[in-house]
Amino acid sequence: MPEKPIQGEKRVFVTGNEVVAWAALAAGAEIMYGYPITPQNEIMHYWTRMIPKYGRRFLQTEDELSAGFTTVGGVLAGRRAFTATAGPGNTLMQEPISMAEAMRLPIVVVVQQRGGPSTATVIYSQQEVTLTTLGGNGEGLRVVYSTATHQELFDYTIKSFNTAWKYRFPTFVLGDGYQAKMRESLTFYDPAERGIEMVPTDAYVGRPGMPGVDRPPKHMRNTYNMEEELYEVLQGYLADFAKAAPEIAEHETFDTEDADLVIISHGVVSRACKMAVRDLREQGYKVGYFRPITLRPMPEKELQEVAGKAKQLLVVESAQGQLARLVKEVIYGSTAEMLSLFKPGVGITSEEVIARVKEIKG
Amino acid sequence: MTVQPAMPKCWRVETKPHKFCPGCGHGLVLKALGQAIDELGIQDKVVFGCDIGCSLLSWDFFNMDTVQTHHGRTNPVITGMKRANSDIIGVAYMGDGGGYAIGAQHLVSSATRNERITAILVNNTQYGMTGGQMAPTTMPGQKTETSPYGRDAETTGSPTQGPEMVAAIAPEGAYVARGSVANMKQLKGYIKKALENQMAGNGFSFVEALSLCPTNWRTNAKDTWKFLEEDMYKYFKVGELRVPGPREKEGQ
Amino acid sequence: MVIIGPRIIEAYVGEYASGKSEVAVNRALDLAETGRQVTLVDLDIVEPCYTLRPIKKELEQKGITVLAWETRDMVGLGETGNILKAENRWALRRTGDIILDIGYGVEGAKTLNLLEDAGSDPDLKVYAVVNIARPMTGSIAEIVQYIRELNRVDGLINNSHLGDDTDLEIVQEGVRVVGEAARILGIPVVATTAVVEFADRIGPVDGAGNPVRKLVRYMPRTLW
Repeated sequence: MPEKPIQGEKRVFVTGNEVVAWAALAAGAEIMYGYPITPQNEIMHYWTRMIPKYGRRFLQTEDELSAGFTTVGGVLAGRRAFTATAGPGNTLMQEPISMAEAMRLPIVVVVQQRGGPSTATVIYSQQEVTLTTLGGNGEGLRVVYSTATHQELFDYTIKSFNTAWKYRFPTFVLGDGYQAKMRESLTFYDPAERGIEMVPTDAYVGRPGMPGVDRPPKHMRNTYNMEEELYEVLQGYLADFAKAAPEIAEHETFDTEDADLVIISHGVVSRACKMAVRDLREQGYKVGYFRPITLRPMPEKELQEVAGKAKQLLVVESAQGQLARLVKEVIYGSTAEMLSLFKPGVGITSEEVIARVKEIKG
Repeated sequence: MTVQPAMPKCWRVETKPHKFCPGCGHGLVLKALGQAIDELGIQDKVVFGCDIGCSLLSWDFFNMDTVQTHHGRTNPVITGMKRANSDIIGVAYMGDGGGYAIGAQHLVSSATRNERITAILVNNTQYGMTGGQMAPTTMPGQKTETSPYGRDAETTGSPTQGPEMVAAIAPEGAYVARGSVANMKQLKGYIKKALENQMAGNGFSFVEALSLCPTNWRTNAKDTWKFLEEDMYKYFKVGELRVPGPREKEGQ
Repeated sequence: MVIIGPRIIEAYVGEYASGKSEVAVNRALDLAETGRQVTLVDLDIVEPCYTLRPIKKELEQKGITVLAWETRDMVGLGETGNILKAENRWALRRTGDIILDIGYGVEGAKTLNLLEDAGSDPDLKVYAVVNIARPMTGSIAEIVQYIRELNRVDGLINNSHLGDDTDLEIVQEGVRVVGEAARILGIPVVATTAVVEFADRIGPVDGAGNPVRKLVRYMPRTLW
């Protein structure tokens, strides 16, 4: 029996991509499928380096379509399987993810966002929000965690496997190129020692017994004959998703009670925004902060509450309004003024956020 | 006897020195291509398409219309162009990852449909631009970032034999060869024939060029050539596999 | 009077994110401060656009020559761009001190092969930077195994830290662990490196008698 990758707890200093590889090991992920693309390569580099010691597996596929579909296959075989990608790779992966949605397959996909559209830059963006939350030709039946720190990258990579296998929706960890390459300290831990129980996996196909004799054969499909047939299936899925949504949704918020302007951001940009809110508070500005940790499903009730109280909402993101669209959908009917600081494909500093607030406040 | 000018006429002087690493083979392949284009006098007819990976650094390399496409998708973009305007001489330029991994189905389909385009694929045994991961052409035992203990042919397969595959599936009229930057005269000859084959409307033309990547092989000048001429030649045989017309015969 | 000793040629190798660039940058600046002529060479070929590029200008203003990409030289298309800068290959032919910042990779240390004269330069020393907070070099056994896999290492640098969460304990634990690994490997510990705050508390030599080099953190600024 191979040893546990992490014994007890350990303070470490690593890059985000390494965090993902270690978290997947700690979560008991059994196989990774992947294809080279910057800025997620080191997830594969470290996974391939470490797995012989821990008895895990890896397949480098011919492209991201294949990486996605092999992950689907891994999950069908009952394995805790995952893949990682970015940008154009994420685009390609929408086809297998769509199949996973249609068949309720618990694949886990780590996305390190890079600039878009097309090949664009390898460096950074938050431009894969729409694609990751609502991509494919369907209804966005997926869970998306947007992380901001290395500790969260570790925590939510572990959690994503449990969310996926518990609810059986494709689950994403949405990072970005900055988080992928950034170095900072965090605590590695063995989930079991923190009381985190990994949701058991089971095989969809290839179970023991003679099909048709010992057990019914498994017949799985994603194609339907008639509109009504599809409609009925989707009603079931949508009801499941709606029921699970409040259990899954997570957020972080502070200083909103008396705030007349609330800054909303997600992912790595929230680091700058939180710093800005603290600085602005010290300078006497009545500002608050709200961050959806899950972008799909959104923390609807909590966000609506904030929007009901604040006069102004300032959405800050490294994209041209992809988070803002999600926010607007949730708070429809609110009278709060929508303001923005959009810098597609570029990082945002706390100084820029402060300057924008001061510009708004005059 | 004429002395070959150092820089082909169709190269764009303003974008030189080129952007490839010192010792990279791309410059040599593009030199062979440039010389072939010069000799055929087709600079105004060629549309050059490059892929993602190191090949994209050639996006402003020539005084020719050029499109940098998506990873693996250069063959279909050039195919679409050629189908829409047959006056164009379409050149699709890609690496081994683009041609044999992510774009393999396009290579296969372009070959089986005998698309009248010229595909040039540079084989340097790994993904150079993303930092040196395993490619379809990585040789058994070769260490890369995703085969850190050496490529295991049992679990990850053997080096793709691209020209052999294309030669096996392309209909009559196709031209298929594998050249090497260690023999520039021969490589230029193959590329020239591949362009002529397209111009004659015979069929799909495919040249794989064995190339150099000292940066990711982490080799000095001497070991770089040794890697190509000793290690790569063991797995990849240089020569013409399909030559159309009355002379057409296997393995010429 | 400034006494300029013999030419100093040092290559810094080590695990991904072990602090090679930080140690190399500080070493180059320290040498320049004593009046020496110094060239700093960026040889990261896995992630060329993530390393010294953003701070190149600043370092040059401090009086060292930096061989690294500049933003305007980068192709800026698609993937990370062209990798090895042509002039870097000839870096060892330059006069004065030369500090080489070698990138990681499964065969990262072999990157030295790309330098002309790397095999024959009598002054070249190869130092491995070790941070025991890095998961794959966290124990004596792991460090020994890791260093043995590198082609050639002439000494170790204890660069143990936890970024913003560094405390004296991790640095001191590094002194012990890296020191023991060096003893097994039969090579010296060249220095312990620490940010000024801790370097001042440790003093000019660490608990094992190795010199302490003060670090100013430049690298966090290279991302954003």
